[in-house]
Amino acid sequence: MTTLDPSSTVNVRYMVDDVETAVDWYTTHLAFTLLSKVAPAFADVRLGKLRLLLSGRTSSAGRAMPDGREPRAGGWNRFQLVTDDLGAEVRRLRAAGLGFRNDVVTGPGGSQILLEDPSGNVIELFQPAGADGGAR
Amino acid sequence: MRPASLALALAVLASAATTATAKLDTDATAVKVRYIVTDVDAAVAFYTRDLGFQLEAQTGRDFALLSLGKLQLVLSPPVGPGSAFQPASDGRRPEPGGWNRIILETHDLVGETERLRRVGARFRSDARTGPGGRQIVLEDPSGNAVEIFQPAGN
Repeated sequence: MTTLDPSSTVNVRYMVDDVETAVDWYTTHLAFTLLSKVAPAFADVRLGKLRLLLSGRTSSAGRAMPDGREPRAGGWNRFQLVTDDLGAEVRRLRAAGLGFRNDVVTGPGGSQILLEDPSGNVIELFQPAGADGGAR
Repeated sequence: MRPASLALALAVLASAATTATAKLDTDATAVKVRYIVTDVDAAVAFYTRDLGFQLEAQTGRDFALLSLGKLQLVLSPPVGPGSAFQPASDGRRPEPGGWNRIILETHDLVGETERLRRVGARFRSDARTGPGGRQIVLEDPSGNAVEIFQPAGN
């Protein structure tokens, strides 16, 4: 029997090159609020029910694996932020000088675009098909 | 509304006010995370059987939606009809792996690790301890990371 605890907060860990830069970026551009910071190793920020843990190289999560692989930022797995106006969000973020990995693409479920944080981690901005506020 | 919830709501409102043009939905009932998987069926079996997720929806080999508490885990293969499959502007294709991950909390990391080893789970390393607690990272069948975490003092 599993002892995993489905709590009311969802915790996601992102590896980042620079914790201070990441904190500034998530709080400035995506309206996260800072929970705690022990730079340069670690900080955590919150947006709604998402708690995002930002781990630098000197954190316990940043140490190399026994086979030598070193944790680093990037990849394609991501959390999703839902908006009811993807076009406006993209314009707002482009105006702030932020980088995207691709352009807006539409599938059966809705439209999305991949925003990159300063370390190259990806954040999915998503507008549900036919939605007026929601993906619940 | 409990005081803590009220404080959080006020904090969210305050932060929203400082970035008045953001239209992100911070009030969603769930948090969605998307993982790229090479085999949706194998991933569904792993997350439901070994980690206790519920299967909410599946569209053949193209898409699955799982849930655990407030987490909704979307599984997308690297190629297919959905919006997740477009390559990057520089030509890079979506692929599983990387180090960013969901964290599943437990009050018994040792017991959880033993249970997962018995069902054949692959771990990237042994458990390691930091100031906040103790963690171990396992891999799903596609090589995506999943962290099991026990908070310090628990």
